[in-house]
Amino acid sequence: MPASPEMSDRLKGKRAIRAFARKLAEPEEITSLNITPMMDMMTIILVFLLKTFTSSALLINQDQNMMLPSSTSRLNAKQAIAVTVTKRVVLVDGEPVAPINSGKIDPALKRDGDNGYYITPLVDILSRVARKEKKVAEMTGQKFDGELTIVADRFTPYRLLTEILYSCGQAEYANYRLLILKSRE
Amino acid sequence: MTRRQVRARMRRMREKYEEAAEDTGEINLVPYMDIVTNIIIFLLASVVNQVPLGTVNASSPTFGGGGGGGEEEKPALNLTVTVGNSGFTLAGSGGVRPLIPKLPTGDYDYVALTTELTNVKKQFKEETKATFNADAGTAYEIVIKTLDAMREDKDGHMLFPDIVFAAGIL
Repeated sequence: MPASPEMSDRLKGKRAIRAFARKLAEPEEITSLNITPMMDMMTIILVFLLKTFTSSALLINQDQNMMLPSSTSRLNAKQAIAVTVTKRVVLVDGEPVAPINSGKIDPALKRDGDNGYYITPLVDILSRVARKEKKVAEMTGQKFDGELTIVADRFTPYRLLTEILYSCGQAEYANYRLLILKSRE
Repeated sequence: MTRRQVRARMRRMREKYEEAAEDTGEINLVPYMDIVTNIIIFLLASVVNQVPLGTVNASSPTFGGGGGGGEEEKPALNLTVTVGNSGFTLAGSGGVRPLIPKLPTGDYDYVALTTELTNVKKQFKEETKATFNADAGTAYEIVIKTLDAMREDKDGHMLFPDIVFAAGIL
């Protein structure tokens, strides 16, 4: 018996809906990449780089007042108390301690005047730091090694350097790591 | 089923499907990716431009009591290298060696200093200590270069790596 036109329309409509439902249920074509694994990788690299940066020994800003000398030494820099000697100022761990005028420390800041070696504010600060380091060493069962890093400008006169080293010695710091730029020679 | 009914049914199905897709959708990570990539590039560039830093070890003079005796004592070298205005002076327990003059260019003769120290080292193979002294106006750069010349020869053999700064200056 031939289907009525109304029935035929109904069947067509149902067929079209079924076909549409099938199409929706079909897996989609890949239109974009899944970037989650790449994200994981990038995050790991980022954390690694940040860790490397924070654990690298010293970061020095060089400018016209502070140019490090170069050396053939192969020893790597280590983290320690840094005494920086620029053309204008002496700093202990970034804190200014004594100004420098024409390569000389103000005699008023020296215990024995112009010819003296003892730079009072430098000895005072380093003695305080040494006391702290000794306490930490005691608590952790280690030995206080009295090491500090000297970061000095390449034109620092030897007289000033000796005054600095003498003052460091007075605060029980007798082993120095002179910071340099590694040259390839 | 009329055409309108079919269309209405299809619209409802599509809306339902899209709602379901939205519910299970992931966070858009692309902006975060951009930020991370930029930071990584910046950090890598900083690492490449970072200057390699190193150290030269030195120490202050220390004074200790003499040994207990008993063993035969070797004569101490007490090597002292002094940087003067006219050149290097080497001194030891045995006396003072001739001055190593500056080069005609006005620079210090670091090669001659190393050669001289190599000769000294041949006689005192066990000795590693040397005292350093310099003129008041000697630049720190020259101090470091002299310490380099004292530390090892051109073939990388150790000469006198344990440097002690003299108590006082010239």
